[in-house]
Amino acid sequence: MSRRILLAFFAVAVLWQSAGLSQAPARAAAPQSGTARVTFSETIAPIVYEKCVTCHRPGEAAPFSLVSYEDVAKRGALIAKVTASRYMPPWHATHGYGEFADERRLTDEQIAAIGEWVKQGMPRGDGAKMPRVPEFTDGWHLGKPDLILEMPAGYSVPAAGPDQFRNFVLPTKLTEDKWVRAVEFRPSARKVVHHAIFTWIKGGAAASRDGADGKPGFPGVGLPGLTESGALGGWATGGTPTFLPEGLAARLPMGSDFVLQTHFHLSGKPETERSLVGLYFADRAPERRLINIEAPPLFAFGRALDIAPGAKNHSIEDSLVLPVDVRAYAVSAHAHYLGREMKADATLPDGTQRPLLWIKDWDFNWQDSYTYKQPLDLPKGTRIDVKVVYDNSTDNPRNPRNPPRRVKFGLQSQDEMGAVSLLATARTKEDEQALMALLGERAKTALQAAFKNGDLVRMQQVLRIAEAPSQRITLVDRQGATVATMGEPGLLAQPAFSPDGSRVAAILTNRDSGYGDIWIYDTDGKGRALTADEEGDSTPVWSPDGRQIAYVRADFDTNGIYVRAADGAADGSARAELVYKHTTGAPLFLTDWSNAGLLCFWTGESIYALPLNGDRKPVELLRGRAGRISPDGRLIAYSDNNGGGPMKTYVRRLNLSAPATEVVQVHDGTALGGLVWRADGKALTFTSLAGLQVSGVWQVEISDAPTLAVGPPQMLFRPVGVATPAQLSSFATRDLERFLTLVPVR
Amino acid sequence: MQRRRLMWLALVWPLTVTAAADRVKDVQVGDLDGRVIRPFATGAAASVVFFVATDCPVSNAYAPEIERVCREFAPRGVGCSLMYEDVDTAASPATLDRQVRTHLDEYKHRGLPAAIDRSRAVATAVRATITPTAVVVDRQGAVRYRGRVDNLYAALGKTRQQITSHDLRDALDAVLAGRPVAHPETEAIGCFITDPALLRTHEHE
Repeated sequence: MSRRILLAFFAVAVLWQSAGLSQAPARAAAPQSGTARVTFSETIAPIVYEKCVTCHRPGEAAPFSLVSYEDVAKRGALIAKVTASRYMPPWHATHGYGEFADERRLTDEQIAAIGEWVKQGMPRGDGAKMPRVPEFTDGWHLGKPDLILEMPAGYSVPAAGPDQFRNFVLPTKLTEDKWVRAVEFRPSARKVVHHAIFTWIKGGAAASRDGADGKPGFPGVGLPGLTESGALGGWATGGTPTFLPEGLAARLPMGSDFVLQTHFHLSGKPETERSLVGLYFADRAPERRLINIEAPPLFAFGRALDIAPGAKNHSIEDSLVLPVDVRAYAVSAHAHYLGREMKADATLPDGTQRPLLWIKDWDFNWQDSYTYKQPLDLPKGTRIDVKVVYDNSTDNPRNPRNPPRRVKFGLQSQDEMGAVSLLATARTKEDEQALMALLGERAKTALQAAFKNGDLVRMQQVLRIAEAPSQRITLVDRQGATVATMGEPGLLAQPAFSPDGSRVAAILTNRDSGYGDIWIYDTDGKGRALTADEEGDSTPVWSPDGRQIAYVRADFDTNGIYVRAADGAADGSARAELVYKHTTGAPLFLTDWSNAGLLCFWTGESIYALPLNGDRKPVELLRGRAGRISPDGRLIAYSDNNGGGPMKTYVRRLNLSAPATEVVQVHDGTALGGLVWRADGKALTFTSLAGLQVSGVWQVEISDAPTLAVGPPQMLFRPVGVATPAQLSSFATRDLERFLTLVPVR
Repeated sequence: MQRRRLMWLALVWPLTVTAAADRVKDVQVGDLDGRVIRPFATGAAASVVFFVATDCPVSNAYAPEIERVCREFAPRGVGCSLMYEDVDTAASPATLDRQVRTHLDEYKHRGLPAAIDRSRAVATAVRATITPTAVVVDRQGAVRYRGRVDNLYAALGKTRQQITSHDLRDALDAVLAGRPVAHPETEAIGCFITDPALLRTHEHE
């Protein structure tokens, strides 16, 4: 993967970077102070009309209206409680830490007045003194948009379940580049749409995923692997759209799709969402470009973020010194569910401290961008310090894992990342270039660190998963001709026939979580999940009687070998037994379950046998991979590279005290895995390699008396779409008549 | 017409209230069709009363779980009912009546006995102050559990990613197995149940 793609991906995956088009709530009124007798008409109504009814009115997002006296009075106690705790109005930036426009906040006096009013029995007061209910525009707040986009189809939001993050693709059909001054978002199901983040994506990369699961859009919080993209701001409940200040505008290139990433909060009853988006264009490109100054760069990619289970105060910090004068318009923060606190400060060259943002109780559901009341001028030489704190203990109710687990950098909501971003401009073209050069350098350093510390490898894996084509399990005969297919297409690997050839176990990887589960496919072609966990499951092998499956489950630094019933349910009611725990951190591959009850696995370059009876201590058999024990238990077939050379296939006696002359090389070409013994033990298959691809499926005859000997190898066919050959341990039926391949589906 | 009037009376008034020592009062209340229901004495091994409100987002979010609990525990001899604790501020009682019927429909509660607890007699009898609250009463009429359905909500607006304590289900399992309930009282999180009398005081101010 090229760095360019990775950087581009970050531009998209991390959608939280607002381009400053964030829609802030209505401006607050001057505080009202409590009096001896507090009445609705004189004291409470003005507060409610200024601070609450933007959302709490019919047709809006809030669950109930607060327009009439009755509306407010019947919830008086609740309103007093939620305002006192500052849960309402929702505002997550610490007051006094950065001065923000449209601060959605009540003063201490207002809160006290509400409490007092409730205590006094919620008197209505003089009707003549009631303020007028504010008027709200029903249509577009900013007037008729230059371009209106609508979701091509309604999306059905279920009644209950965890929050959903769904991406919707709205083609713009633009034939020239446009400059966006504002985006106005109009959800149709306001009760369930919590927030939305806007991006553009070029080249149909988003469109190609649209509807892949049969519903409009596609799931997930990240859009990995996409090429060219950019941020266009966002909307959260209660937001009203505004134009960017000072003639600024964000680019929307021709031919791009507008992508909405919508966060749904399920309400208890089903809804249908079909959003409208209004775009307002500038006549020409703005003089200054909007620049995101982000710390740490790339949302802490390359920082080897590693949060121990139970850690309550895991923090990361980052600083940068501005190389030029900068004007900051807005600030935003991002982390996932473990994020608890974000703090950003500026220290001017003269030592003056300027608070930028402090969120003390981060809520992933409120991805606000905070616009400064006055743009903040930060002179050259200003140092910006950022701190992000994570809580991975059970005290964090938002922790997605219970009990907590070790968490590293990643794009999924159960992984972590974190940064604070300033939306800013520089004064001149030259300054812009200097600032961009510094930010580019910081990103480059982060990438180099990621390359060294493993963050990059994990990301590449995620991208590979996202970009890999779906395949279908396909049964072929000895000539490679298709006989049948099984199950739905998916990201499949390591298919294995049951001993009687009637069923197939395979690994199906969830594209969004990246975790592999074991699926069982029956002869009628139907598939069902055998495991459904947040771990990577791999290398399923069947017990000789076909009633159980052994497999490897990876959980960070340990690999466990588990055994469970092949007909069990995936819902957790069927128990999986841990038979061996491998703690070196090296990957582990199961390749065989012998008739004598030995599980055969390899790790590093050594093959081990794990007796399922007795003390279950693995015994190192020999160096090599992909060991397969013959049906009578006397021979073992395996692959070995003899210490770095090309992989070859060998057969030897399982009696390890037998002399090495009894090792027979099966074929002189490069070959790896695909070792299946015929039921009579007199023939064996293996697969040859061309590069990393399987180039052929072969068969040899084996005789064991008086000496071990193999006949001439016979090539059967050239398979399509077979990867990971070392784990293809049961890809043939025991009569060597049927073979499993994974054929890519477009 | 006459019949309708009587129906209103049934809705507004708890019909009879009989007290028994250290037992919950056997409150009777008229359901939406005027039938008398006795939420704490369903004759079942355990009765669960859910206090809800049509406009409380927390109790609405629990609608599917309420349905699941009632469906799953019905074969084990558990009777469920819904008590609506809405404040009726409309001129005609029919308005709230319609609102509740719509709510039952939208939230797929059609099978459950439901009543509007206009006088708060049912909530008062078991000291329910929040929607949603679940109250479990055993066959003898003793309150065995009062509180949250589960711990999805850590606070208002703060939901867990994973529910770690299924308090109502655990309580029902215990009552059905004849065991003591481990946590008979938990804090319900949601909306306050308002005394409608409080609002009437200011009606003609």
